[in-house]
Amino acid sequence: MTSAHSKLYSDDVSLVVVLVDTNPIFWATAALPFADFFAHLIHFVNSILLLNHLNRVVIIAAGVSSCAYIFDSSDAGPASGVGVSDTFDKASRKVEEFIAQEARATASNGSVAPANTSSLLSGALSLALCYIQRIFRSGTRHPQPRILCLQGSPDGPEQYVAVMNSIFSAQRSVVPIDSCIVGTQDSAFLQQASYITGGVYLKPQELNGLFQYLAAVFATDLHSRAFLRLPKTLGVDFRASCFCHKKTIDMGYVCSVCLSIFCKNQRKCSTCGSEFSRVMPDLNSMPDQSK
Amino acid sequence: MPQVMVVARNFMDMVAALPAGKLDMLYDSAFICEAVLRSLPPLAKKYALQMLYVLSPVTAAAMEEWVLDGYAAKHRVAIDKLLQLRVFVEVRDRRKEVSYKMNQKFQGNMQKYLVDGGSLPREPLPSSITGRLPASADLEAYALDQWERFLLQLINSSQVEKGTSFSSSMMKTFQRGLLSSRDGEAPKLTENGFQFLLMEINAQLWYIMREYILSAEERGVDPTELISFLLELSFHKLGAAYSLNTLTDVQRIAIRDLAELGLVKMQQGRKDSWFVPTQLATNLSASLSDSSSSKEGFVVVETNFRMYAYSTSKLHCEILRLFSRVEYQLPNLIVGAITKESIYGAFENGITAEQIISFLKQNAHPRVADKIPTVPENVTDQIRLWETDRNRVEMVPSHLYEDFPSKEWFEQCCDHARDHGYLLWEDTRRMRLIVRGEFHPEMREFLRRQR
Repeated sequence: MTSAHSKLYSDDVSLVVVLVDTNPIFWATAALPFADFFAHLIHFVNSILLLNHLNRVVIIAAGVSSCAYIFDSSDAGPASGVGVSDTFDKASRKVEEFIAQEARATASNGSVAPANTSSLLSGALSLALCYIQRIFRSGTRHPQPRILCLQGSPDGPEQYVAVMNSIFSAQRSVVPIDSCIVGTQDSAFLQQASYITGGVYLKPQELNGLFQYLAAVFATDLHSRAFLRLPKTLGVDFRASCFCHKKTIDMGYVCSVCLSIFCKNQRKCSTCGSEFSRVMPDLNSMPDQSK
Repeated sequence: MPQVMVVARNFMDMVAALPAGKLDMLYDSAFICEAVLRSLPPLAKKYALQMLYVLSPVTAAAMEEWVLDGYAAKHRVAIDKLLQLRVFVEVRDRRKEVSYKMNQKFQGNMQKYLVDGGSLPREPLPSSITGRLPASADLEAYALDQWERFLLQLINSSQVEKGTSFSSSMMKTFQRGLLSSRDGEAPKLTENGFQFLLMEINAQLWYIMREYILSAEERGVDPTELISFLLELSFHKLGAAYSLNTLTDVQRIAIRDLAELGLVKMQQGRKDSWFVPTQLATNLSASLSDSSSSKEGFVVVETNFRMYAYSTSKLHCEILRLFSRVEYQLPNLIVGAITKESIYGAFENGITAEQIISFLKQNAHPRVADKIPTVPENVTDQIRLWETDRNRVEMVPSHLYEDFPSKEWFEQCCDHARDHGYLLWEDTRRMRLIVRGEFHPEMREFLRRQR
């Protein structure tokens, strides 16, 4: 065994960081009420903890303007499963608190535009990766980490750069990002995230059976994934957001120095400061500029 | 740690070997369901989870679709394991198609677990009755001390000044297979016995537990009850006090034996008496899936083959003596040397080089544990070389055929043996060949047909 792997548990021990979308604007209109959704989630967390006493689960809530740790199974005392139910009560209370606090913050701010209905995916991903890094560095043997995103609200194109950076750092530290879409529309961000990091992307057909999807697909440990038939992504939306107006675009201009993406022709790159001396012809006549 | 896995698996095999009715009875307890589920291989666990809310039987053919092509063997192993332990039950419909269904009791208990998130087997006593309970460090020291005392008694019954109170017949059952005693001679450790000593503590524990349960029937105790109690015990909270009054008679007898092994600590209050589970007990079911005892090591091996063991334990000294020459002993330090003679002595007793090396690695002193390699390479290489020295000659029972009447006949025989892969040696000039022993009947038959 190489030294790099000797710090991992040999078997199927996993650390699952679950990112939960708590966006009130989405849940107000969702097909599945939040309470039911949360019950499914608790079931799922319990089943992960049931499978192996060394398994760990962390839940992170992603709201409109902030994120927070909601639950950490290692707080629940010794591995014997004592006090787990208490902790879950605490977790659901914490979620409620978090949502209430967020609502207050949003109300007092008053600056959030009504069109802005996306959750802070980038922040939640960063929190998750930070947590995983902490586990990596804790010295002793650690479980195999993975991230599961339960997202409902649409992507926020303004988070494009932050999300992509998180995805790449997850890829570097070999942390697969699984995504389960509980909303109505596919998420381009998460499609890319799962594609790049080797996770599973799934948009369940029937949300009432959410637990079955979670148990059948997302509870699979990384060890067993090698030989199980898991859902494959049909297509990945690789579209990027431009750096200047945060719009999702099919075609645009790319800085030849730092690869920043712009929807309009620029004189100077706003990221690296390179000046483009040659005047570009119109975009429509140059279809191969960027994808 | 593969050894733990093997021994623990053996334990689960024992559970699987119980008659169906008894096994179903065991599944009345949610804790046993939990322990059994955790002991399963990863794929089987996943299947169990997937089937948790499926009430109607699923056909075997449909299940085979779950795995990718080329991994059918893994699938079979998982399903077999689930069937053996009666987590899945086979159902055949009228068209003789095989379907699997989850054991209803198991399913019910696990569903409850997912909702409640697990509970305690029994309520701990409030601190108003028990007063101050032992601190966890004290408890650990107590458990290890007790276990060590038991082991010493096990391998060397004469040297112990204060042994455990196990009856000698009980001790005999434990020693069965580990010690061999010829008439008039002092009992000697067998090959298994040596390997047992080098095992990790959890593996040793499982081994002893297995013997204990297997011998239960001789004592007129139902093994099922013991298994269920043992698995249940591991879900008790470490360091909490549990009243003895909640136990059945069988359990009460068992708990006294377990206290001797260091699994629980017995304490007496003014009115009640209670037991406090130690790490040994709470790790019991945990080690079924993966053992992770992060015990601190004590051995430093130097490149000059000297070995320093910072330990006060007599047991450690005995173990080190198995494969090294102990030179001198200070109150907290054992100094020894790994020599060719001492290692050969170990090989004679059936210990392998890998076992010695893995023992040295696992018990490395924290100062050297972080280094790579933990044990100097020249030492590990030398130990392996000494082992291969002994294996230079391989013995194969075989048969020699000679005096063939003709060259053709000889060649035909050679070809026949070679085709089957049993030809060891041939001498064309003098027409002699040597064939593996197990091929002899076939060879004789061949020769007869030729004639």
